[in-house]
Amino acid sequence: MNVPGRSTALRALLAAVLLLAGCSSQQQNTAASSENVLHLFNWNNYIAPATVKRFEQSCNCKLAQDYYADNEEMLAKLAAGASGYDLIVPTGNAMDTLIRQDVLKPLDKSLLPNLKNINPAYLDGAFDPGNKYSVPYAYTLTLLGFNQEKMKELGLPTDTWAIIFEPKYLEKIKGRVTVLDSQRELMAAALMYLGYSVNDADEQHWQQARDLILRAKPYWAAFSNTSYVKELAVGNLWVAHGYSNDMFQAALDARKTGRKFSIGYSTPKEGAVLALDSMVLHQSGARPDLAHQFINFMLDGKNSAELTNLTGSGNPNMDALQFIRPEIADNKAIFPDRELLARLEMLQDLDRRQRRLLSRLWTEIKLRKL
Amino acid sequence: MIKGDNKANRIAKWLVSGPPLLFLLVFFVAPSLIMLFTSLRFPGEFGGLAPIAAPAGAVHGEYGLTLETYQFFFSDILYAEIFLKSFAVAAASTLICLIMAYPLALLIARSEKRFRNLMVLLVVLPFASNFLIRIYAWMIILGPESVFSHFINAVLGAFGVAPVTLLFSSFAVLVGMVYVHLPFMVLPLYTNLEKHDPALLDAAQDLGANAWQRFWRVTWPLSLPGVFSGSALVFIPVLGMFAVPDILGGTGDILIGNLIKDQFLGTRDWPFGSTLSIMLTLAVLAITGLAAWLARPAAIPEK
Repeated sequence: MNVPGRSTALRALLAAVLLLAGCSSQQQNTAASSENVLHLFNWNNYIAPATVKRFEQSCNCKLAQDYYADNEEMLAKLAAGASGYDLIVPTGNAMDTLIRQDVLKPLDKSLLPNLKNINPAYLDGAFDPGNKYSVPYAYTLTLLGFNQEKMKELGLPTDTWAIIFEPKYLEKIKGRVTVLDSQRELMAAALMYLGYSVNDADEQHWQQARDLILRAKPYWAAFSNTSYVKELAVGNLWVAHGYSNDMFQAALDARKTGRKFSIGYSTPKEGAVLALDSMVLHQSGARPDLAHQFINFMLDGKNSAELTNLTGSGNPNMDALQFIRPEIADNKAIFPDRELLARLEMLQDLDRRQRRLLSRLWTEIKLRKL
Repeated sequence: MIKGDNKANRIAKWLVSGPPLLFLLVFFVAPSLIMLFTSLRFPGEFGGLAPIAAPAGAVHGEYGLTLETYQFFFSDILYAEIFLKSFAVAAASTLICLIMAYPLALLIARSEKRFRNLMVLLVVLPFASNFLIRIYAWMIILGPESVFSHFINAVLGAFGVAPVTLLFSSFAVLVGMVYVHLPFMVLPLYTNLEKHDPALLDAAQDLGANAWQRFWRVTWPLSLPGVFSGSALVFIPVLGMFAVPDILGGTGDILIGNLIKDQFLGTRDWPFGSTLSIMLTLAVLAITGLAAWLARPAAIPEK
């Protein structure tokens, strides 16, 4: 056994194999069609474990979930051939894409008596007139989260996008700000601050937005889609551009760990992006019966309220309001009043040329300095 | 007789080189051709690719093959900049890995035999935990409230230097890259160094070479093949890495890997993602060719 050369080579090989295994993604959908399994392609942490348990008892089946963190990721995985999902929970613009791709099954509303619980303001939207394919599940707003004590101490406003775009404010919080690492969301915030619609696709307006972003960029710590939750909660960040349910989580974490500060969040006066997530039936699903059962189950006020109580997501279910904890139900950033609702916009999908153009602007934003 | 021998020889050669050739064919040539084909297609309206043949009653003429995506790539200096930047980061990571790995590999190679395997095991031990977890650990180590950050800033403060932020910076990206790829430099270097005949060094000493001369004129030239293969094993993966800049980088740390990933997972623009990948593959092949050419003189004495 005195062949050190060979054993080293073996070790190197082993190391390479281990590394490859570590890098390969774990996502692999196993479609078990004949079994009593409902396959749900859902956002991370977007259903309460207690709800899952009760549903599994009521339907005498299993709920198998795969997760995504981004609509684009979900669409990209479907485009790459992922299949076997009975239900998906896309946001409006992604749902629009799925409908136009003709990969969804129409709903059988006779199986959904609980549909009456949904607030009509969230039904019959532009993406799916008459709700032929979709049932609203929950929503989030893209807004600003902040360290309340620091903002007061520095005398900074918290109800405007200016806080992440204007150097005169940013000077005081340099390196303590993150914005979303999302082309659409960050552009939407910049466009709204400039007074345009979030769906404005005028190239000149986009360039104005890019310049606004480039001017503010030196003051930001990073583009962050997930880590801002923790960083806000421990006090490393003072302002973050992010999703309302994440801000809810950060506020909860800061309170639970007994920090000396609290995390607040509010919807800027210029407007914000509303992301309404809906349940839709994917063509590749084998169990539309279970899928309808699940949708009707989630439309029940108590089950729907559980999600809001857990994640702080907005809830379009009128019957759920009575079960939602009052401190959440009274939060205007989660349950916008009529006046605020008028200033919220949903993102629409871009066509392929616009996507390529936006991608180039985004690369410029990432690479260049003003 | 002679003819038969030749034939057996040829068969043996093919048997030996066949599997690796097949591997290259299946896992490199074929995917590259698919990628090349994809880069010449039009993007689909919802992602994926536009159909190659126009469906009946189609209004737009965007079917078939096109060089449009390559034109788009060359139409803006932006993409050349991002290539240059990625190559600079990869070169810096490789150089730092080499400087850190060489003494370690030398130490392992010159230790007593019974310790060597243990030391090599220690080098590869980090692979036992997931790559992403190790990168996330660096987020904690480099975070503004970490012990390490406080220590660095206390030292800098003592010299009157303003405090620095370590996380979300190009520095953090470099740290992550070097940390992840260091073993890939150590292993080939060690494999090379431990084969050196100690008698060569004794001979050099007898001829009056001092310690530095013994290293520079004997060990270093002999270790060049290890240096080149280690450098290739670090340089090429760093070029394509997107997770490290995503997690540890700041607002300006975008590399070619991030851009390619974005085309598939964000923008849904497969042809442009493929175009970028093809350009990257060409660049890597050019560099590998250059490295092979540079390594050539070192290979002559082995004949």
